[in-house]
Amino acid sequence: MTASPVSVVALLRAALEAEQAASYGYGVVGSHLPQSSAQQGAATTDWITHLRAADYLTALIQARGGTPAPAAVAYQLPVPVQTAAQARVLAAALEERVAQAYLALVAVPEPALRSYGAGQVRAAALRAEAWRGSTEPFPGLPAASLRG
Amino acid sequence: MLEDAEVTGDGGSPGPSRRALLAGAAASLPLLLTACKGVQALGTPPPPARDIRVLAAAIAAEEAMVARYATALRQLTAGGGTGGAGGGAAGGPAGAGAAAVAAVAAVRAEHVAHLAQLRSRLIHPPALTSSPGPSVAATASASPSAGAGAGAGTGARASRKLVLSELEQAEQTASDRLIGQLDGLPPALAQLFASIAASEATHVPYLRAAGQSR
Repeated sequence: MTASPVSVVALLRAALEAEQAASYGYGVVGSHLPQSSAQQGAATTDWITHLRAADYLTALIQARGGTPAPAAVAYQLPVPVQTAAQARVLAAALEERVAQAYLALVAVPEPALRSYGAGQVRAAALRAEAWRGSTEPFPGLPAASLRG
Repeated sequence: MLEDAEVTGDGGSPGPSRRALLAGAAASLPLLLTACKGVQALGTPPPPARDIRVLAAAIAAEEAMVARYATALRQLTAGGGTGGAGGGAAGGPAGAGAAAVAAVAAVRAEHVAHLAQLRSRLIHPPALTSSPGPSVAATASASPSAGAGAGAGTGARASRKLVLSELEQAEQTASDRLIGQLDGLPPALAQLFASIAASEATHVPYLRAAGQSR
C-alpha cells in the first residue's frame, strides 16, 4: 500500500486536530485539579507536551505542502467535567483520542512517519495510564478492528 | 568446425575430438544447471515472507510473556502475596502483596488478549501448523489464592519487588522490540504491533506502582 501525499497530509492534519483538542482539554483538566497540586503540575506538563506536538505537526504539514488548520476557539469535551475525578477521566479520554490519531499514522508505509506515529501512541498511552491508574490492552485501536 | 561436423562417434569411425567434447559439455551445462535448480526448487520451499516471520516471532514472544506472568503469579502467591482472608490491613504488607498479585493478574490478562489478536492474524496451512506452544488455559491456572496465608515479611517483600522488576524489564524490552519491527509490515499489522507496544510500555509504570504500594 502506498499512501498518497494528500492522504498523509490528511492524517497529519487529523493528528494536529487531536493535539489541538488535547491542548484545549488540558486547560479544563488543570482548572479542576487542586491548585499547586502534583496533579495540576502534571496537567501543565502534559498541556505543554501537546502544544509542542501541535507545533511539530504543523511544521510537518507545511513541509509537505499542506495547510495546517488553526486551532478552534473551543472543543466539545468527550466527558463532562465538574470534579477532579472527572478531570482525570477527561485527561485519559483526551490521550486515547490522541493515540487513535497517531495510530492512523502508523498505517503510512513511510518508515520515519510510522516510527514517529508509534512513538506518539506509546507516549499518549503512558500519559493515559498515569491519569487513569490502569492500563488498556490496545491503546488507540478501535474495538471494531479487533478480531474474535 | 568442419572437423567437428565430421565426427560421428560411431564405432570404427574416429572418436570425437577433444574440441567437440568440450563444446558439447559447454552447451549442455546450462541445461544441467537449470535442471538442478528445478530439483532444488521442488525440494526446498521458499522461506516465509518477512511479515510472516515477524508475526510468528511476536506470537512466540507473547506466549513467553504469558508464561512468564503465570510463573510470577505462582511466585507471588507462594510468598504470601494475596494478603488472603487472614492477611493484615489493606495498607499493610499483605495488602501490598495483594495489590501486586492483582496488578500482575490484570497485566497477564492483557497479554492473553494480545496473544489472541496476534494469533488471529496468522493463518497456518494445515500441513505447516506448528506445535501450539504454551497453552494459555494451562498458564491461566495459577490461582492468586494458592499461597494465601503464607508469611509476608521482609523477604517476601524483597522477592515481590524482584519479580515485579523483572516483569518491568521484560515489558520495556518487548515494547521496544515491537516498535523496532514496524518497518515494512502491512498497515493493519503495524498498527496492531504499535498498539500492543504502547500497552506493554504502560505495564512498566503500572507494575512499578503496584510494587511500591504499601
